[in-house]
Amino acid sequence: MNWLGRFLPGQSAPAPGEAFERWRALPEAELGRPHSDTRYVVVNTEASGLDTEHDRLLAVAAIAVDGGLLNPLDSYHAALEPDPAAALGGLLAFAGKAPLVVFGAAFHRNMLEAAWRQWLGDAPEFTWLDLYWLMPAVFEPGPDGPSRLAQWMKAMDVETFQRHHALGDAWAIAQLFLALQGHATARGAATPRALGELERTRRKLASRA
Amino acid sequence: MTQTAPELLVGASSDFLKRFSPFDRMEPEALAFLAERATLGFHPRGSAILTPEMGHPRHFYIVQRGKVQARQQGPATVTEYTALTLGPGECFPIGAVSAQRPSTNTYLAVDDSFVFQISVEEFIELMRISPVFHLFCTQYIASLLNQSRQQLQTTFAQRAAEQQTMTTPLGELVKQAPAWVSPDTPTRAALEKMAELRIGCIVVADEEEHPVGVLTQSDLLPRVVLPAFDLARPIEEVMTPAPRVLPASASAYEAALEMATHGVRHLLVVDVEGRLCGVVSERDLFSLQRLSLRQVRASIEHAGDIEALQRAATDIRALALNLIAQGVGAEQLTRFISALNDALTQRIITLALERHDLYGIDYAWLAFGSEGRHEQTLSTDQDNGLIFVCPELMDKEPLKLRLLEFAREVNDDLAACGFPLCKGNIMASNPDLCLTPEEWRQRFGRWISEPDPQALLNASIFFDFRVLYGNRLLGDQLQGWLNKNARANSAFQRLLAVNAMQVAPPLGRLRDFVVEDDGTLDLKKFGTRLFVDAARIFALRTGVSASGTVQRLRQSAVRMGISNEEVSAIVDGFHFIQLLRLRAQHLETEHDAPGDNRINPDRLNELDRRILKEAFRQARKLQSRLRLDYQL
Repeated sequence: MNWLGRFLPGQSAPAPGEAFERWRALPEAELGRPHSDTRYVVVNTEASGLDTEHDRLLAVAAIAVDGGLLNPLDSYHAALEPDPAAALGGLLAFAGKAPLVVFGAAFHRNMLEAAWRQWLGDAPEFTWLDLYWLMPAVFEPGPDGPSRLAQWMKAMDVETFQRHHALGDAWAIAQLFLALQGHATARGAATPRALGELERTRRKLASRA
Repeated sequence: MTQTAPELLVGASSDFLKRFSPFDRMEPEALAFLAERATLGFHPRGSAILTPEMGHPRHFYIVQRGKVQARQQGPATVTEYTALTLGPGECFPIGAVSAQRPSTNTYLAVDDSFVFQISVEEFIELMRISPVFHLFCTQYIASLLNQSRQQLQTTFAQRAAEQQTMTTPLGELVKQAPAWVSPDTPTRAALEKMAELRIGCIVVADEEEHPVGVLTQSDLLPRVVLPAFDLARPIEEVMTPAPRVLPASASAYEAALEMATHGVRHLLVVDVEGRLCGVVSERDLFSLQRLSLRQVRASIEHAGDIEALQRAATDIRALALNLIAQGVGAEQLTRFISALNDALTQRIITLALERHDLYGIDYAWLAFGSEGRHEQTLSTDQDNGLIFVCPELMDKEPLKLRLLEFAREVNDDLAACGFPLCKGNIMASNPDLCLTPEEWRQRFGRWISEPDPQALLNASIFFDFRVLYGNRLLGDQLQGWLNKNARANSAFQRLLAVNAMQVAPPLGRLRDFVVEDDGTLDLKKFGTRLFVDAARIFALRTGVSASGTVQRLRQSAVRMGISNEEVSAIVDGFHFIQLLRLRAQHLETEHDAPGDNRINPDRLNELDRRILKEAFRQARKLQSRLRLDYQL
């Protein structure tokens, strides 16, 4: 068992399908509201390696950025072992329908969706925002600027209590996202929807280049 | 033992906070309380986190990363208040949140900043559960006093430095148009000009005013007198040719160096085209150097006439500025001003005595009011009187007339030295204030037994007296008599207390200060007077014979069982207001405006405003003490 153990907030884990149904019943997030009125959830994963095909998901973590504030009490962390369904269901319950923020969707989103399909039977449809694209879109660091998480942390002078730990990295990503909100608002991207559009534009630009 | 996500994140916040004071000393439960409730926000560079316009602050902030600048709101400040920059671990706005009032500062993120915040309710709860945090917040307010003094020091040091350093350009030192003659001027005419203008040095210059020579007093003996030089011959034959010149842009220091190197006492100052613009003497440079207390005192004691004393009076002011610059506190400052003013007055009296024969008369010159309390500021009216003994078998009236004539001269001379004549005619030359001991006792006694408003007002001026010149015993005896009689009469004390309570400290319910229509408040009427009045009552009640407010407070507190800390807080408050008065008077007199006691609190820096508020709170404390003691 992972030394982190399991950190389940609820007492009894709901059955896999039940967690999913409960989530589906929640009202949809409003994507047109300003950051100051939106609850985002920063999610992060910890896996046995970087290969989405073969590596196993070990732990998941999430921190809410609610109304532009990071509240340490509004956070979630769970190891997959011994009860992956409970850990993943708990994450669904914690996140609700909030837009999810990750750093590197290609990896974390894929890992999570695969795990959800495997253990809960289906992958819920979230609004995903990827800081990997959004950070350069907002901060425009130039060609030699930061791209990986460690580089962005250094550039933004963001620290965390433990690197390469699902929650530790989530804490750093959440702080980056806080800073991003502040600067994106100044550039007119003041809602989840606007951030989504910004990300799409950036991806398109990158694919053309 | 495993930790949940909130536990891990709260632990991270707590680890961060523990790196800074006062959180490093905070009780574990209190720190946990704070870390659990502190949410993290982000403030982009250039954004305002808190401004006075936002009204009562709803949050208390602790900087996690970045830089936040506290900028004072409002127009230019009296002192140049450098904006305060807050970094990680520093918090704001302590004063506004504790006092539940809008912040007086604007807090601006000058870098991208991450800042923790808790709600005002949580802040208050934290103060309640954490003695360490409580102490930190209260001490923070108290520590402001020290900071304020340091700021004051810097401001004045700079000012003093500008005024009289050796880096002053010579062009600024030259005050008089230079006296010069052409080379063909007969020596006699040149010397006559020197004598007429009372100068020690005459410049010889050509038609374009380019100096070609100089002749100084010390040249006369060897070159003119001893060789019996023919005074009809032109001055160019005895002058020192090619005199030392310095450009007007050269500094006083360079001039001093030049003089020391070449052993000359005068240097010619020329403009860029080499034309004469003045002469700088060794003495001009000396006067640049800081005046010392001893020097001023000596110059007072050796002054032979009023002109010399007028110069000394100017020096006292200049010296006061220096002392403020050196960070001398209000207590020492007023005491020193008082000491020098005493010396000045005594010298004026001594000089007047040369013309008025009072030999054999037993008398004393009394100082009343602030002078009587050793609390003079820089713009104090005269408040003085005379007490004299009329020997038996001697006619009182002619004696009194002699004293009044003498007093009138002293009053006029004091006025000439910058102590304005008293508008209320509280002066020794007033026949009503030139009295025998019996007459003074009768008068004091009448005020005590029939305390109408005028009598109470009089008591507040005349009961603060001391002997400045003459027979001290006369004053001591009067003081002893006064203490005995006032102490016995509690009805009189009670009325004094009623009187003292008529002016309340100008603390507002909604605003910090209650000001007049022009936005100012009177630091004397609404500030120091409150302390002075209360101290006088305490002194009369407890039989303390000191005339100074601080001594009265300290000595009577012992007899009234007021704790040492409590008195010190009161005394600090009093001194701070005094310091503000002195400062305001100083700055104003420098601009040639009549010094008064008004300040505009909005123009004070944040620090001073807070301390002033605290000082007024101390005055309020004193008043509630009076209210309690006399059941008002």
